[in-house]
Amino acid sequence: MLRLEDVHAQYGAIVALHGVSIDVREGELVALIGANGAGKSTLLSTIAGVLRPHQGRIEFRGESLVGLVPERIVRRGLAMVPENREIFPALTVEENLRLGAYIRKDRDEFQADLEHMFALFPILQERFTQPAGTLSGGEQQQLAIARALMSHPDLLMLDEPSLGLAPKIVEQVFELIQHLHEDGMTILLVEQNVSLSLEIADRAYVLNMGAVQAAGTPAELRENVDLASVYLGGVG
Amino acid sequence: MDILRQLDRAPILNTSITLLVPLALLAALTALLGDLLLERIVTAMFIHLIVVTGLQMFMGNSGIVSFAHIGFMGIGAYATVLFSLDPEVKAMTLRHLYEFLKPVHLPFWAALLFGTGIGTVVAAIISYPLMRLHDAAAVITSFAVLVVLHDVMVHWTEVTNGPRTLFGVERETFLWNSALCAMIGLVFATWFRESKVGLQLRASRDDRMAAQAVGINMLAVRWLGFVLMCGYAAFAGGLFAHFITSFQPRQFYLAEVFVVLAMLVIGGPGSVSGAVVGTVLVTALREGLRVGEAQLNIMQIFGGQVVGLTEFLLAISMIAILIFRPAGLMRGRELRLPLGRTTAAPRRSR
Amino acid sequence: MSNVGAILQFTIDVLSLGSLYALMALGLVIIYGILRLVNFAYGELIMVVGYALFLLSPTPLPWLVMGLLAVLVSIMTAYLTERIAFRPLRERSLTAVLITSFAVSTMLQNAAMLFVSPRARVVPLPEIFTVQVIIAERIVPLRNLIAIGVSIALLALFALLLKRTILGIALRAAADKFMMTRMLGIPANLVIGTAFAISGLLAGTVALFWFGRTGSVTPEIGLWPLLVAFVSTVIGGMRSLLGAVVGGYVLALIQMTFSNFLPPELLEFRVTFVFTLVIFILLFRPEGLIRGR
Repeated sequence: MLRLEDVHAQYGAIVALHGVSIDVREGELVALIGANGAGKSTLLSTIAGVLRPHQGRIEFRGESLVGLVPERIVRRGLAMVPENREIFPALTVEENLRLGAYIRKDRDEFQADLEHMFALFPILQERFTQPAGTLSGGEQQQLAIARALMSHPDLLMLDEPSLGLAPKIVEQVFELIQHLHEDGMTILLVEQNVSLSLEIADRAYVLNMGAVQAAGTPAELRENVDLASVYLGGVG
Repeated sequence: MDILRQLDRAPILNTSITLLVPLALLAALTALLGDLLLERIVTAMFIHLIVVTGLQMFMGNSGIVSFAHIGFMGIGAYATVLFSLDPEVKAMTLRHLYEFLKPVHLPFWAALLFGTGIGTVVAAIISYPLMRLHDAAAVITSFAVLVVLHDVMVHWTEVTNGPRTLFGVERETFLWNSALCAMIGLVFATWFRESKVGLQLRASRDDRMAAQAVGINMLAVRWLGFVLMCGYAAFAGGLFAHFITSFQPRQFYLAEVFVVLAMLVIGGPGSVSGAVVGTVLVTALREGLRVGEAQLNIMQIFGGQVVGLTEFLLAISMIAILIFRPAGLMRGRELRLPLGRTTAAPRRSR
Repeated sequence: MSNVGAILQFTIDVLSLGSLYALMALGLVIIYGILRLVNFAYGELIMVVGYALFLLSPTPLPWLVMGLLAVLVSIMTAYLTERIAFRPLRERSLTAVLITSFAVSTMLQNAAMLFVSPRARVVPLPEIFTVQVIIAERIVPLRNLIAIGVSIALLALFALLLKRTILGIALRAAADKFMMTRMLGIPANLVIGTAFAISGLLAGTVALFWFGRTGSVTPEIGLWPLLVAFVSTVIGGMRSLLGAVVGGYVLALIQMTFSNFLPPELLEFRVTFVFTLVIFILLFRPEGLIRGR
């Protein structure tokens, strides 16, 4: 579904991606793991159109995404849940979700989608009219995911969903992601939390210093790669 | 040659020479040609160069746009004149002047120094508390300061003769002294850019958080840069007063702000060379357009007076530069004499 | 009895001037909130309305129609300056856009000088602007009351737009996190174009009442409204829409207070007093009066 080939990208003066090639097939949950600064977020930003790669190809369902503005990319069927959630704190939960559904035109569909979200994230129904800034970290994460789902994406990208959350909440979030995956969603997950990611992923890539260091199924990676050092920033 | 290698390793000296030599040649040529109009144009250009250089020192290094400096140019002009006017002339032109100021009379250079000093001190006092404002608010506030200074100049008739022209100033500014002052100003600015304070200022522009993390005192550094800029402007104001010999507050207001800004932006705010290139270019442009405007008026092509054509075209040029060449013509780089690299001398990064 | 009248008159003066200031500031802060652009060309929208009215005055159109057309011209000018001068610079530094807006301002002023006249030109005004009413034994120009009414209506309309429409929600979101808004599929050009159109509408409306006070248009007429918008916004805390509105009323209050209570010798310095006070306020509250979000 999503294919990156030899992508080079810069973030300011820093060259962040050196020829990254990854693959996400339909229905898969692919994890990108690596230490801080390995280039994971840069990769997602590049796919989402926030950054422009100066070399390489990015194709979604066979069509190139390079050079498209973010507004267009979400219309192609990719939705992003960015690092730090980026929910709009001054807007209510309802307004955040309405924005998430911006590209959908059907009113009835919106109602049905809301019901679906309430089933997945009951807390959002409870806090529907409250400003999003009053939600806890974990609730905001749920809102961010729900908001992304409102656009009916074919591919969901999650950037460090565990960041800043208490361990128990992190587990809940990962259960949620697993649930979405089982429901059929194709997911690209960027994470520092190696163990939890490998528990739910079908395949994973290890990123280090802007390049793919290793790839394979969780079992393969556990066997062949020193995962502790990945977390600390270097592959043995 | 040993000297050339030395120059290669000393960018400040290199740039200074690269900038000063053509300017000195220009001044010499103008003096030789003896054309009065040309002399006036070039003298005015050197005065402008002082203001633009000052603006470069603050705005080019800190990245903060300022509007207030022209107000301090006005303060410099009026303050200098207060001291330099012959008491008899003063009595005629500043009829309501305070008693204690009436007999004060200083020779030109002393008056200039005092005038610059007053302008600089006022700038220091007004600007210090404003350095705490973040960038957008700082720009707007500097705009408000310009308006206030203009308002004061217009209404403090005892000291400025109000909105009316202040006349009777002796012509003391000529080609040679304006050129000399401009060149000294350039050398200092070139040094400043690479000095500790200058580098700190540039660091604070590129990444404020990082700069503070490294211990750079943002407030102090910006304040120093701002005061220096206003000092230059006040000095230029004093020179200007003694060049034009009669002036009004409106000459230290938005029209002047625009011209000076255009000079710096078109040349490129990132370097002193940009200030020089921009000033020379815009001066040439304006004079050319002025001739054109006069011709159009003579030929009555537009059936009347054509006013504002110069500024209109200058504004369009500025917008074009900002869109197509945003760092200005010099792209923020200094002019250096391209001296070949010897194998021994390591390449110095900018 | 006359004290009540004096207070009432003062209040109406402050409210009517403050309403114009508030609308002006709102038009500026909308753009700033989303784009971080300090728009120096904003004051020229007032100038443009004035010249539009002047150029329309020989026509037999009723004033209301002329006024509406003039406001339309303001909206168009705002939209065009964004399209032509600001859009190419959208990814560039904020300083570059700021300087560009200053250049656009100069360009527009000199265009007026070139293509219309450097001298003042009379702006046609409706009959109703000459009507005066008596309130508590004081004479009050009716247009001041109309200004208050129109402003409240516009502010209410604007609040409704922001709260109830998806576009309004998008505008609020864009002022908070522009890139995230785009990642949800909301087109940047739509948001920015709308913001500029709104600022054109607000400035245009203010202009109609502004000329009610001055009666004529010059190329420099936009300077004071621009300053007002700037200072109101800074007082209110640059990010806050509500702050800009409040800042406008506060500035009007300060100005009218100085105008009415300064001794005659100092009266001509009222601009200095007003802005010096503002600078003092900023000394102690650099973030502005309203804590922005």
